[in-house]
Amino acid sequence: MARPNFFEHLHPPTIPAREARFGYTFGLGGMSLLLFLSLIVTGVPLMFGYVPTAVSAAESIRVITYVAPFGWLLRNLHYWAAVLLLLTASLHLLRVVFSGSYKKPRQFNWLLGLSILLLSLLLSFSGYVLRWDVDTYGALTVGTHITQQVPLIGNWLYRLLVGGPNITDTTLVRFYTWHTLGLVVPVLLLIGWHAFRVRRDGGIGHREAEAVSGKTPRLARRELVQREGVAALAILCVLFLLSIFWDAPLAAPVGRFAGPLAETSHIAAPWFFLWIQALLRLWPPLWAGVFIPLGVVLLLALLPWVLDRREEGTAVWFHPSGRWAQVVVGAITVGIILLTIVEWRQ
Amino acid sequence: MSGNQKATAVLGLAFLLIVLGAVVRQARQPAVVQLTPTLTGQPELCLTCHEGIEEISAAHSIEAFGCVLCHGGDGLALDADLAHATMRGGRNPSDLAVVEESCGGSACHSGAAEDSGDHIHRVLTSVQATYAGAIAQVNFAFGGQADATAVFGITAVTDNNITTDTGLAALAAFHPGSDAPGPVQAFSSDCLLCHLSAAAIEAPYYYRATGCAACHVVYENDGLYRGSDPTTPKDEAGYGRSHQFTTAIPYYQCNHCHNRGNYSLRQMSFLERDDLPGASSLSAQEQRELEYYQPISQFTLCEWELDCVDCHTNGEVMGNGDIHSHQQDVQYVQCQTCHGTLTEMPLLETITDPAHPAIISADLNPNYSVELGDTVIATTQGETFGWVQWDGERLVETGKVDGRLYEVPLVLGSGCQQKPDEQESAYCHECHTYERTVK
Repeated sequence: MARPNFFEHLHPPTIPAREARFGYTFGLGGMSLLLFLSLIVTGVPLMFGYVPTAVSAAESIRVITYVAPFGWLLRNLHYWAAVLLLLTASLHLLRVVFSGSYKKPRQFNWLLGLSILLLSLLLSFSGYVLRWDVDTYGALTVGTHITQQVPLIGNWLYRLLVGGPNITDTTLVRFYTWHTLGLVVPVLLLIGWHAFRVRRDGGIGHREAEAVSGKTPRLARRELVQREGVAALAILCVLFLLSIFWDAPLAAPVGRFAGPLAETSHIAAPWFFLWIQALLRLWPPLWAGVFIPLGVVLLLALLPWVLDRREEGTAVWFHPSGRWAQVVVGAITVGIILLTIVEWRQ
Repeated sequence: MSGNQKATAVLGLAFLLIVLGAVVRQARQPAVVQLTPTLTGQPELCLTCHEGIEEISAAHSIEAFGCVLCHGGDGLALDADLAHATMRGGRNPSDLAVVEESCGGSACHSGAAEDSGDHIHRVLTSVQATYAGAIAQVNFAFGGQADATAVFGITAVTDNNITTDTGLAALAAFHPGSDAPGPVQAFSSDCLLCHLSAAAIEAPYYYRATGCAACHVVYENDGLYRGSDPTTPKDEAGYGRSHQFTTAIPYYQCNHCHNRGNYSLRQMSFLERDDLPGASSLSAQEQRELEYYQPISQFTLCEWELDCVDCHTNGEVMGNGDIHSHQQDVQYVQCQTCHGTLTEMPLLETITDPAHPAIISADLNPNYSVELGDTVIATTQGETFGWVQWDGERLVETGKVDGRLYEVPLVLGSGCQQKPDEQESAYCHECHTYERTVK
């Protein structure tokens, strides 16, 4: 028998029926993958129109948005796919935590998934910066200055990001390259690895005892692929509907025809970093912008080793063995949502 | 069909319909109209929505200026909010808060060495902009300052090229504090309605713009737009008659501020006239008579028939570049300017310089022209009335607003009994009062 290809690796002949239910995974991992692919499919044509220079960036976005046929659709799809991706990926993380799917032997894949989420945040931020308007310019200024707060390597990090002491064309080209290549390639590799590891770790997290007993109802590959198709169509419908009726935001351009920067609107951070902006109002930037976000990441990364090392309860919703992990992640989630809402209403 | 197949069919159909929706939206996008003005070389898409709008003036041709050079804004955005959010002065780039940025520069309307060429400086220092006269009178009358010489203006302004005896070096911004006399505070909060930076009262007869456009963009009394910009509302008051500058400024444009009522210093409030006609079938002449001046006033026939700009000069209205305490410091045109006196003809000047201001001004007005060799009225302040010309036998005035011709009677050789030292208009009114024909 021939060695199975990657698709067959991800879709074994049968999988446990309980865990293959939409009501269990909500298809969040697959949706995230589809959205990421949508971002590439829409992002590449956008690269043909976007000019990554301080003088022309805003202008080229306007040509894409208002002049090129279906340019508005491409840009809206790209924007909404990014928004949806951050949502589905975050929900995917919550599903994994609350159903105990990070447990041994899946700790390493938990790390891979977390890395993909973090890189997706950086991808979204770099994409936001490419708009190069008064809103994103404000976020870029705040964001890069936060890196200066990092102890010891702050200034080095700042110069690495910005490409000099001030925000210039160099900065824009760096963010452009990170956005279109430097972050995309690692994420693609990580996504492949993440999916590969799912099977390597014994398939999607499921109840071990039932599997061993051989009584677990199982689902054929064909059925799984069909379900994936339905979920894909559903998410595409949502993506296109959003893109047709709600345009991706733009603000007054920075540069040649810019108004004074003082007119920067009050919300500088992109929506997914509003919670950090809220923290920045409360505490000094070293804490609000560096230690707290890093602490959250570190806590999440170490979750399978520090908060819950037990094996039992895999694929069981809210299993008592994962109580600490569930409470901590739940608290972080509620905290981020509340801070985001508070900052949004500012 | 299995559940999956049904769901696939339904969602597939929905997806096709949604994609069709995207095609419909694309099909409904307006055809982009791009303009690359020669002065900026930067393309702009404003005409996509505003195609058909009037060119602001021949001197500011759309091919050379486009829209963004004066208006600012995001000229490549086809979303109205985004496109308009960064416009200078909202719809009016000539608002005095932004006029230097919009209209200034040594190639345009500021920065000239001579005050006469620095239009923005002249307007900013003029009493119409500073409101210095009214502020000084009220502040003095209620004990806020020692005499009636102006100290304050609507905004702080300085002049380092004083050319007249009454010129002042600077005015501070008028912001009376809580220690100022009560009436002065009330005046400051309730009565600063009549200057070039004040927003118009939003009511018929009062609609107007601010800054340069307060005079040079004509508003009809109903404040409705009558031009051909497809996206400027036609049924919403508060817009100019059309998107055009003019020096043919009709009397009713001046009247959007002047002759609209009086201030009550007792109540510290503006009392609007209550005798202005509503929408009616009055003839233009009847409307003019009813509207022109307030009933208590006395005027001559030419003051009823002509328009304000036929007599009041550029230097009087826009100022002479000095800061003054009183409008009367710059107002100098009298009946004798055109009619002369018993002993003298009015001052005349024959135009010999092709760049003479009389020729430039005439080029900006559609109703009269001045050519080399023409002899026109000159004033004691060095201005000329290019629209009042001497043909060797007669003095003929061409109405700046309507082009009507009037023969200007001369005092010289008439039976007029004026005394040589009584040349102000009040003396002329004693004999030459005109009673209005409509009641």
